[in-house]
Amino acid sequence: MMDRRALFFLGSAALCLVLVPVTPADLRWFTLALAVVYVVLAIGSALDNWSRSREGRSDH
Amino acid sequence: MQTLALWLVVGVALAFDFVNGFHDAANSIATVVSTRVLSPRFAVAWAAFFNFVAFLVFGTHVADTIANDVVQQNVISIGLIFAALVGAITWSLITFFLGLPTSSSHALIGGMAGAAVAKAGFGVLVWEGLRTIAVFIVVAPLAGLAASFILMIVVMWSVHRSEKVEPLNRGFRRMQLVSAGAYSLGHGANDAQKTMGVILALLIATGEVSKGSDVPLWVVLSAHTAIALGTLTGGWRIVKTMGSKLTRLKPVSGVCAESAAAGMLFFTSAYGVPVSTTHTITGGIVGVGASQRLAAVRWGVARRVVWAWAFTIPGAAIMAAAAYGIVSVFS
Repeated sequence: MMDRRALFFLGSAALCLVLVPVTPADLRWFTLALAVVYVVLAIGSALDNWSRSREGRSDH
Repeated sequence: MQTLALWLVVGVALAFDFVNGFHDAANSIATVVSTRVLSPRFAVAWAAFFNFVAFLVFGTHVADTIANDVVQQNVISIGLIFAALVGAITWSLITFFLGLPTSSSHALIGGMAGAAVAKAGFGVLVWEGLRTIAVFIVVAPLAGLAASFILMIVVMWSVHRSEKVEPLNRGFRRMQLVSAGAYSLGHGANDAQKTMGVILALLIATGEVSKGSDVPLWVVLSAHTAIALGTLTGGWRIVKTMGSKLTRLKPVSGVCAESAAAGMLFFTSAYGVPVSTTHTITGGIVGVGASQRLAAVRWGVARRVVWAWAFTIPGAAIMAAAAYGIVSVFS
């Protein structure tokens, strides 16, 4: 199961993406970059959770 | 008579700025006080100093946005600005008693919009400017959250092999002075400029300064003095009151949260975007909490911030519209 932190980051990325078209043109890059950062954080968080759960299983 | 009314409303705007400093002081000094890096008295003086000197570092882009990009200049009058301030103050007081972490900046913008709509309808709103402000109501805390999360991860990766824990803690305790100072600088830059913007709009409307002119120096100095005095007066009391209620952030978390929020405030001040300083530091604190585990975050507080996002501008707008209705009877 995907961890809650990764889901939170994905939700934040989606929110930023929704805001991109309504952001004024000179600041659009910022909202878009923030969305990308949140996607990276979501992937990192999911991978971290996955490796921890694997470690947990191998300990047993 | 008009001159007297003008100075009276300038006084109300500066009082609003003073209360802003009074109310928000704890945001910038909570961590340095809770980790005993500075005594409350020195911490308050530290924050007030950086609130004041912000005008030397940043321009007046935020003030220009407030003066020109919220409502059309031709509808602004002394009565309208007075109603806007009354609406913002009333909304702030109501939410204070309800315990909602509202933003005085958003209340001010909502107040200006509400009073203008009551006077001349929706056509006088500057939608482009309001759209930027609305987008950054959401983006600023999210950016603060992401930046503080990344900073925490970088710091944890950098120091996790270190066995010299005590020198590290001492180092971060000292760094808190820098991060708290930076946050106070950003707070002074963004929040004091909102008051400058209101006063500038008022001076243009009454013909005291011409349209397109820079913010007069006396306005800059008085706005920064008001917010610094508010910090100096209120911060001391609030820290004493909060005493045991302060969140026990570790020095490293405090440094990351404040640095992230300060970076966001510097960025938005440079671009002239008015944002909520309280919501930005809240995002920073949620970010450091989320770097430990999601359950470490007090989601109840985060939820209340989201409610405040949704309701502050329309709430303050309704209050200001009602205030304008009363003001227009007497004018």
